[in-house]
Amino acid sequence: MSKGDNILDVKNIKMDFASKGVTVHAVGDVSFKVNEGETMGIVGESGCGKTTLGRCIVRAYEPTAGQVMYTTSEGELIDFLKIDKKTMKEYRKEIQMIFQDPYSSLDPRMTVLDIIKEPLLANYPHMPKEEMERKVMDIAAKVGLNTAYLKRYPHAFSGGQRQRIGIARALVLNPRIIVCDEAVSALDVSIQAQVINLLHDLQKEFDLTFLFISHDLSVVEYISDRVGVMYLGKMVEFAPTKKLFSHPMHPYTESLLSAVPVADPTKQMERIPLEGEIPNPANPPSGCYFHTRCRYCTERCEKEAPEYVEAEPEHYVACHRAKELKLKGFSYDE
Amino acid sequence: MEQDVKQNVTDDTIIKVRDLRINIKVDEGTLTAVRGVDFEIKKGETLGLVGESGCGKSLTSKAILGINDKKCKASGEIIFDADGMGPVNLLDLNPRGKEIRSVRGKQISMIFQEPMVAFSPMYTIGDQINEATRLHITKDKKESKKISLEVMKKVGIANAEKRYNQYPHEFSGGMLQRALIAMALVCNPKLLIADEPTTALDVTIQAQILEIMKELQKDFGMSILFITHDLGVVAGMCDRVAVMYLGRVVETAPAAELYAHPMHPYTQGLLGSVHKIGTKNQDRLFSIEGTVPLALNLPAGCGFYERCSKRIEGVCNAYDPELVDVGGEHKIACFACTGCPNAKKEGKADE
Repeated sequence: MSKGDNILDVKNIKMDFASKGVTVHAVGDVSFKVNEGETMGIVGESGCGKTTLGRCIVRAYEPTAGQVMYTTSEGELIDFLKIDKKTMKEYRKEIQMIFQDPYSSLDPRMTVLDIIKEPLLANYPHMPKEEMERKVMDIAAKVGLNTAYLKRYPHAFSGGQRQRIGIARALVLNPRIIVCDEAVSALDVSIQAQVINLLHDLQKEFDLTFLFISHDLSVVEYISDRVGVMYLGKMVEFAPTKKLFSHPMHPYTESLLSAVPVADPTKQMERIPLEGEIPNPANPPSGCYFHTRCRYCTERCEKEAPEYVEAEPEHYVACHRAKELKLKGFSYDE
Repeated sequence: MEQDVKQNVTDDTIIKVRDLRINIKVDEGTLTAVRGVDFEIKKGETLGLVGESGCGKSLTSKAILGINDKKCKASGEIIFDADGMGPVNLLDLNPRGKEIRSVRGKQISMIFQEPMVAFSPMYTIGDQINEATRLHITKDKKESKKISLEVMKKVGIANAEKRYNQYPHEFSGGMLQRALIAMALVCNPKLLIADEPTTALDVTIQAQILEIMKELQKDFGMSILFITHDLGVVAGMCDRVAVMYLGRVVETAPAAELYAHPMHPYTQGLLGSVHKIGTKNQDRLFSIEGTVPLALNLPAGCGFYERCSKRIEGVCNAYDPELVDVGGEHKIACFACTGCPNAKKEGKADE
């Protein structure tokens, strides 16, 4: 298997949560492919199902339907959702997660050494202690932690350093894919830049594939090769980063882009305000889910759900009027 | 004393903060959270106070209203041109006294970061907005309801009559933030302090709220102190910007000037670490090395010394730079940018 090949093929993932007689369709029919060594970004507002999608992929949730086809390093094709838990454990070494909140995702009663070591203990119980500690030291140094401080507890570390601990914990098993769920959202800007640079370096060094879930469009634009936009549990648009940001084809993407605050008073974009708020996923609107807030809405949009198609090469979109609309994006300077 | 105070406020200045210092007693010693902050806000102007967490921006804003914790000892001057009292130093007022109460919530009001936490879950939204109305404007129940409903409509809460009787949990985050703004504006304040008002919201909702704030500012003619860590939001909202680091304002300038010619190494670093969509992807984002130090037993010298790329040894770690005007209302506190006249620094070292 070489770089650029398909590593993950997510097909028609569906995740319903039922509670008190109400079914919430958190993720409805999402499909996409991830290539080895790339960073795929997923953006959307809170409640759009992006975190649920990430968790379905690592099988932290059991999706209601769908397939997650994973190509092993030997080139074998397996479906994460079909295999039993024991086999899944074998493969989970290769797909790890980094979480949003560096405060709640680390056990306050474990030393940093133990936190980073835990995945090794769980997966390689027979590994000699010395080897384990050596691995932990190596990875801690790689992510920029001072190895002299590893015997301390998480409370002694700052937010940025805690996130490095989380990254080290994900990396210690030598995974191939890392799902980063809002991995830098809780950090201050100057620290955010440090962590993004770190992720970038690690990706190059270890040939990692990232699935980068975030609501911060600037960060996603910077780090991703391709980006998918989610709305109310569905993927509405998916394209290479530059294409998506310069020529969006879905009206939702257009307004999302126009809402991004630009750190330059002379380059303020015209805002395309979205009326109202994200509808209740337990009771989604008819037809196209976005029609209640769309300013290009027609009668057809209210009745008929648009299909998710490849409207242009490598540019997927779910909108009836994708081809006729000329939507505004960012202009790129060359 | 009274005479001094009056001279300090010119006609179009609403509030003037001079050498504000806040110390907090903790077990390990004294935390100098704010170390001499200076700024002023003019009528109808929006000043952005930018900085990372822990730089003292929230403490500064709370000091204005006198709502900091008892452990925080504030000194310096916050001169506010209060109705009925004339210019007063808000720090001189008893934080539980009558005078500050006539200012707090009426002439200066505040919007908080997390609308979910700012409201009490036990009372209806209407009741909570009314609290301000009944305290400051009218005791008449019907009239105060009328006023409250009017403001709710102004901030874009659809179906205000129904919403008036609902509880906070029935509101979404964006709607709650609108209600919070309504509560802050109901007394028509001269100064609105907005402490990270959109940080907890999605980008599309954030855009809505910012738009409303701009419109209301035009309507009500108030000044805004906008506190945030988001340089993008500041660019779209503020007339002037003050950048804070470790309890001090290190640079202040009109927004356009600051973004075009940032001078302080910290401001430059901060702007460099934000990726702008549409610009060519550099291989790496610029990042400021290290982290913000804890403001406990700080060594002498510039607070940014440890992380600064332009530091001058023997100068920057020995003397604390002051804000120096470099023309065009642009002020910076940095020896590397403005130079450090020997005579001046010797004099200060003696102090």
